[in-house]
Amino acid sequence: MRKTVIEPNGKNFQYWKDIWHYRELAYNFAKRDVTVRYKQTRIGLGWAVIAPIINVFVMTFIFGNLAGLSSDGSAPYYIMVYAGTIPWGLFSKGLTTSANTFITNAAIMKKVYFPRIISPIGSAVAHIIDSMISMSVLLVMMFIQGYLPSLRFLLFPVFFLLCLILGTALGLFLSSFNVKWRDLAQIIPFAISIGQYLTPVAYSIDSIPEKLRLLYSINPATGVINAFKWCIIKDMPFDWTSFLIALAWIVVLIPLGIHLFRKTERTFVDIV
Amino acid sequence: MSEKPVVLKIENIKKRYRIKHITKKPEGRSEKIKAAVKSFVNPNANKEDFWALNGVSFNVEQGEKIGIIGKNGAGKSTLLKIISRITEPTDGRIEMLGKISSMLEVGTGFNTELTGRENVYLNGAILGMTKTEIDAKFDEILEFSEVGKFIDTPVKRYSSGMFVRLAFAVASHLEPDILLVDEVLAVGDTRFQKKCIDKMLNIAASGKTILFVSHQMNTIRQLCDRVIVLREGTVIFDGDVEEGIRIYNSEAYMEKQNHYDFTELTRQPGYNLDKAEILSLDILQNDSCIYAPDEPIELKLRIRTKVENIGDMSFRMLIWQADETPIEVCFTDTFANINTIGEFDVGITINKHNLGPGIYKATLILSGGTAKANSENLDYVYPAFVFEILHANGTSQSWPRQWGWCHFDDVDVKLLSDGDK
Repeated sequence: MRKTVIEPNGKNFQYWKDIWHYRELAYNFAKRDVTVRYKQTRIGLGWAVIAPIINVFVMTFIFGNLAGLSSDGSAPYYIMVYAGTIPWGLFSKGLTTSANTFITNAAIMKKVYFPRIISPIGSAVAHIIDSMISMSVLLVMMFIQGYLPSLRFLLFPVFFLLCLILGTALGLFLSSFNVKWRDLAQIIPFAISIGQYLTPVAYSIDSIPEKLRLLYSINPATGVINAFKWCIIKDMPFDWTSFLIALAWIVVLIPLGIHLFRKTERTFVDIV
Repeated sequence: MSEKPVVLKIENIKKRYRIKHITKKPEGRSEKIKAAVKSFVNPNANKEDFWALNGVSFNVEQGEKIGIIGKNGAGKSTLLKIISRITEPTDGRIEMLGKISSMLEVGTGFNTELTGRENVYLNGAILGMTKTEIDAKFDEILEFSEVGKFIDTPVKRYSSGMFVRLAFAVASHLEPDILLVDEVLAVGDTRFQKKCIDKMLNIAASGKTILFVSHQMNTIRQLCDRVIVLREGTVIFDGDVEEGIRIYNSEAYMEKQNHYDFTELTRQPGYNLDKAEILSLDILQNDSCIYAPDEPIELKLRIRTKVENIGDMSFRMLIWQADETPIEVCFTDTFANINTIGEFDVGITINKHNLGPGIYKATLILSGGTAKANSENLDYVYPAFVFEILHANGTSQSWPRQWGWCHFDDVDVKLLSDGDK
């Protein structure tokens, strides 16, 4: 029979095995998130298509038409914006849901045990499903426009996942503070709406003056989002500086985020 | 017979919570700054340690059904939370063998937007079931829940009864080796509650190990073969069910005392005490309030009349079991015809109560009226007093419940015929 030992300070060597054991729960959480989001709506998943399209056209109008910024490479401006909103969405949603995971799921977590990390993993899977829908819309748009991707396109899943992982890892890191100080739950949406303008989502990284480029690239999202756009836009150069900075963030944030998350999950129910 | 394996070993479990004290608000600017600096430098200054569990140890063998009882705040739920790994102990160690599931609540994670069917799968997964397991048990769950054709309706349109039935149905189809249950059987209507208890009895009979927290002593009696009584985070009793319940009852009751003052007691609605009230009660001749089976119970009551011409006054007394089961009622004769305003002492002696051993509490109702027909209840005090009846042999051992709570005496037995040959 399986033996479980409970001791203070979380000396739980089965944690990773447990996560595997509870993998179906992650899938169920994802399924719940996706189903609930579009329940009792007339067009259901259609909203996953319509909302980003509207968003893209608003941003194209502001940045491309009003501000007159230039696109990356030869891509039509709105395609470039669309290619930026998909990874940004993954990053920001991954960040928000994992940072709030202890609070939004407190009711369940106070009554049932499962490795708590299953919860943000489940949400992350739901974000993948949502973004894959946006991704197919982007492809349809590109075909209609006659702007076909090159072979680099095949690399998109790598950057797609990196955006999500980066956002989630940053969220895990913040989640432990969020349990103690709810101020973070107020700050995060605010930071994300500002962050969208400090990240090359709706404009090209080339619009940033050369001497500010390094400072600008410290933003962890810059590198992965730019790299994602690179695989959609066939004649865009790859910006190694920002990408390597983003990779460094990921390498630091994953272990740090998981460590803090695990430290918090052991007793957070006592304070939430 | 070989000894059964220990499946749950709890060693010296402690759990500390920090509670914050509200200190006096600082006055004046310098005081405020000082207080702010102090709380920043030492954020734990105004905090006190509270030990919800303070060294709990016991072992559970495979197949045991253990009832955990104790007053509110004794640490029962904290203990279950720690065993089910929801929160960590501050100190101590627990070893468990086999799959553990907990039913600390029914319907955990139910999403009201989802249909009954979707919720069964989601809730099942949250409780640790795999899809294959749920698939296999789905029909059984559906039948048990009696939700029927509404299974594909969003749960938000369910009646609250349907909701809890479905929720309990999922939870009760878990198949762990050790099951932790926290007072979840009291769901739905009486008929469904019985069904829930039967289901639990089935689970119990199948040889699973169960830890069961409840305030329902009757359910504990039905389900458990061992009781652990907690008080202030420590185990004060571990063993026989009836003995444990007896200890719990004497715990759960207010202290036995021989003087009761009712002037501050809040009465039930409808008793505005505008005509008369019971002021106090004294138990005479017995300081401990523990009686031998044939010992009379003597009481002295002080009452106050507030209007003239109340008329014939009498008492009604109800005797209750620990779990509020009514046991006896008695109607006293008219003790006086009172026509003046004032305070009076009244003596009541219960010469023969016929009560079996146990702890009881009593209600006193004062009534009055100029004629039997217009007699009305003037005051109602509950609990009026608490007392204990001992065994005939003078001990307070538990009394087999099958024997009932009252005993007959004055029963004539005689031989009616000679030995027919």
